[in-house]
Amino acid sequence: MIPARLQWPVGFGVVLVAALLPFVCSSYTTSQILTRSLILGLAAASLIFLASLGGWVSLAQLGLYGVAGFTVGNLAKADGGAKVFAMDIWVASLLALVVTVLVGLLIGVIASRSEGIYFLMITLAFGVIIRLLFEKATDLSGFGGINQIIQPSLLGSAQLDPERIYWLCLAICVLVYLGVRYFARTPFGLAFQGIRDNTPRMRALGYNVTLMRTVAFGIGAFIAALAGVLNVWWNTQISPGTIDIGPVIFLLMIAIIGGLYRIEGAWVGALIYVVLDNRLRSIDVVGERVATALGIIFLLIVLLSPGGVMGIYESLSSRWRRTGVTGGATSDGDGTATPTVAGD
Amino acid sequence: MSQTETSAAESVVPILRLRGVGRRFGGVHAVRGVDLDVRAGERRAVLGPNGAGKTTLFNVIAGEFPPTEGSVELFGVDVTNKPARARVPLGVTRTFQISRLFGGLSVADNLYVSIIGAEGGHLRPIRNAKDRAYHAQARELGDRVGLGGVLDELVGALSHGEQRQLEIGMALAGDPKLIMLDEPAAGLARAERVKLTEMLLGFDRSITMILIEHDMDVALTVAEHVTMMHDGRIVVEGTPSEIRGNQLVHDLYLGKGHRNHE
Ligand SMILES: Nc1ncnc2c1ncn2[C@@H]1O[C@H](COP(=O)(O)OP(=O)(O)OP(=O)(O)O)[C@@H](O)[C@H]1O
Ligand SMILES: [Mg+2]
Repeated sequence: MIPARLQWPVGFGVVLVAALLPFVCSSYTTSQILTRSLILGLAAASLIFLASLGGWVSLAQLGLYGVAGFTVGNLAKADGGAKVFAMDIWVASLLALVVTVLVGLLIGVIASRSEGIYFLMITLAFGVIIRLLFEKATDLSGFGGINQIIQPSLLGSAQLDPERIYWLCLAICVLVYLGVRYFARTPFGLAFQGIRDNTPRMRALGYNVTLMRTVAFGIGAFIAALAGVLNVWWNTQISPGTIDIGPVIFLLMIAIIGGLYRIEGAWVGALIYVVLDNRLRSIDVVGERVATALGIIFLLIVLLSPGGVMGIYESLSSRWRRTGVTGGATSDGDGTATPTVAGD
Repeated sequence: MSQTETSAAESVVPILRLRGVGRRFGGVHAVRGVDLDVRAGERRAVLGPNGAGKTTLFNVIAGEFPPTEGSVELFGVDVTNKPARARVPLGVTRTFQISRLFGGLSVADNLYVSIIGAEGGHLRPIRNAKDRAYHAQARELGDRVGLGGVLDELVGALSHGEQRQLEIGMALAGDPKLIMLDEPAAGLARAERVKLTEMLLGFDRSITMILIEHDMDVALTVAEHVTMMHDGRIVVEGTPSEIRGNQLVHDLYLGKGHRNHE
């Protein structure tokens, strides 16, 4: 891993490079690769937030992302959906965040009593319910989706100024990343990790585990909602297909490719997914079988490292460090050798 | 009740009072008809062969689950059907027979989470000035239970003995009044047990201690009162010397070679 004192400079460098990319990339790349990666990464971050700190794999995150998107679509001026409101896009987006968090808390109340495979199934069920709801209620989802959702004027035109929304997404992703890192060291954050590691002990220590989980799920919903709002700002449209079971699985794959244990993995996974998705389509033999090809690549990564790309990176860097210091292996720390960690 | 009566009663009223406590698991009657009074500052050992119901009794007192019969009173409050989280603020803490630690957190953070639990600041998503003090308190507590050298290690990397020490450290977080230790010496080497015995003897007198322990050297050195359980019931009560001389205890327990069982 990166030594602690280098983390800030390295992180700053990465963000700086990312911020400069639109100057060297085409508009198409900026929009279809970079911005899309940031938004999908943010959605994946909401999943990894719950997975890394809470030990919870949620399949409802894309549904929540959809709730946010559809709420914006219905409240703001757009083609399709409920046209009665025609609110200012900012007000509509703010309300979308509120609505999504409330829906998240509601799901959280029910899901927070379960763990493991049951949690997975319950959140999947909610994801499916949300999708069906929007599909059947064409008053809310339009016929074939809501289109031409008005964008905030500060973003200019999606075609002419793709870098503006890119920078906005980048800024929000950075804030969410820093926020999650900060949260992990707060009393709530540490206690949430305690629940992940040993729930009975947390109860014995006096924690209200169910309440904490519910609120944490609400925080996860907020991150998903940010991604959902940015998605409709960028894409200007949303349809029930956006949150279909296929994309749900792909979001899970992004999180797993990146590595479920580190929040950075969300954007690493998203970038890999978006680039592959984009490139594979143009290869003749792949063509329409993109999903199959992605599945195979996914399988390879997972077989190679259960911790995803971040896991590969971690084991490589620790191996490198280990071979780097073999000469003085006994010199580190209190003399208690730790040969057990060498295994993986 | 007048002021004087209250303070007079305090010295007599036990901080823990069990009446007719029983707990069934389906057909298994793990604990039955237990009456027990524990007074402030007392050191009590609970002995008994495997499956006697000792841990189940702890679970009922700590609020992990309610008893199926009888009542539990802590510090004069009936808590029979209250969850653990309603008992922690009264100052009740416990350790587990099989360590229940936060493997993904450092030793210091395990203790910090324990302190926050006792302080009740669970949902605070921001750090504030108090946290510095809590973190310092956590490190000091780690020192106190002999983990000063491994405070920043992940708990998953600790030795068994260190994990048992941390179990006790977590139960000491936040000024407990009643601490319940479930076989703290389990799996410890002889030298570690001696150190443990010293640590238990050094507990402040304001802490009441109930100790489940198979190791007689530890149990009978630390305890002043001994409760012997068998088949879910209390079968003998007495001082350590009475217990040493009791024939039933020998038959049930010592005679079966538990002492050498480790
Ligand atoms: N959660 C549970 N569900 C079902 N049965 C249980 C449960 N907990 C305990 N029992 C049963 O209750 C009885 C008493 O168990 P308990 O763990 O209290 O014994 P113990 O005295 O602590 O024994 P040991 O010395 O082995 O720890 C046993 O028969 C056990 O199988
Ligand atoms: Mg037991």
